[in-house]
Amino acid sequence: MVELALSGDPEAFGEIVRRWERRIFALAFGMLGREEDARDATQETFLAAFRNLRNFRGEAKVSSWLHRIAVNQCITRQRRAKVRGETALEDEAEKNAAVFALPLEASPARTAEYVERSQAVRKAVSALPPDLRQVVVMKEFEELTFQEIADALEIPLSTVKSRLYTALRQLQLRLQKFGEAESV
Amino acid sequence: MHEVKQRPACHRAEDLVTYLYGEASEADVLDFGMHLKQCDACRSEFAVFNQVHDSILTWRNEALGVAFDPRAVAIDSAVESSRFVRHERRLSALAALREFFTVSPLWLRGATAFAALLLCALGTMMIVRFSQKPVEVSQQGTPERRYTQQEVKAEVDRAVQKTRDEIARQTTSPSIPNREKPQPAHAQLATNQQPRTEKSRGLSRQERQQLAADLRLTNPAEEEEMQLALPEQDQQRPNQ
Repeated sequence: MVELALSGDPEAFGEIVRRWERRIFALAFGMLGREEDARDATQETFLAAFRNLRNFRGEAKVSSWLHRIAVNQCITRQRRAKVRGETALEDEAEKNAAVFALPLEASPARTAEYVERSQAVRKAVSALPPDLRQVVVMKEFEELTFQEIADALEIPLSTVKSRLYTALRQLQLRLQKFGEAESV
Repeated sequence: MHEVKQRPACHRAEDLVTYLYGEASEADVLDFGMHLKQCDACRSEFAVFNQVHDSILTWRNEALGVAFDPRAVAIDSAVESSRFVRHERRLSALAALREFFTVSPLWLRGATAFAALLLCALGTMMIVRFSQKPVEVSQQGTPERRYTQQEVKAEVDRAVQKTRDEIARQTTSPSIPNREKPQPAHAQLATNQQPRTEKSRGLSRQERQQLAADLRLTNPAEEEEMQLALPEQDQQRPNQ
């Protein structure tokens, strides 16, 4: 399909987008934590892929190639956001999004807990270093196998496992802190 | 991040992760199951990691919807892909043409359009020509012989000669001025342009009628009259 796209067939690239759009969006959402950012990053990923179509190496998988582009797009986007200091507004928007996601019959106390928990998880994941975060997102959001992650990131299988272990430990500590703060 | 101990609690940390996500082989599951019973650190981590895993899943489902299944996306894509291949094959020529017109420069597009128009015009002309030819044949009915200029001249000369012979045989009039020397057809045609008085000076009425019949200048009624007058002459006349 990439060969068709390379030969200038616009339908072929459209098919690549259709095939990988949701996965890349899931990855971007896990990496960035916000739907709006995830949509933008997904668009930028496919735009970058289209521009760099000629640099695609035939021996690599399309999924790996797109994942790498998407991860880079997310990291770049997060750096830019940090520079602009887009945190307070993001938090507010995320809080509102979580409230709307709740069932209508949920009690105010339950709603508050739900929102807090959701935010804590998102913040904990967002706070992970990019190399750990991407492994967590690929595993939890995309449900890729260890081998698929290793192939996509071009790292050894054992490195994937050790990164995931480290990421889980960090997340555990962060969520533990949240639980302690909540109980106080 | 720096506050987290980098060293795993147990040397089988990677096995723990593999077991947690259900990617261990049957033998490994049995083996690590045995290890979990003995290792407190692994057991504790396994329980906590399960909670973390559940929390992330809850967040994911909340954000992307419970129905979100990345594996289902892949299956859908495979189905769509096979559909796409058929679709792409069907439209490949069209896509190629579109691509050609998008990529090629203006002059090339113009030249191609002109060539296409020219081809269409030629095709139309050919179709018109082939469709009209049989109609013409059917309209003509029996084919009529077409004479060349020389044949016409020869035919006229022959008719004149015949007339002259006939006249010589039948007429009692002794002198026929300027008739010994046969005139060429064009000269005779030229004499047709002259005033009637001059032309008919040397010929009797019968001669003129005969000549006119030979040259087919008379109407069918007159011709019939001539045939009645000269039946044997008609039999000798060449079939025209």
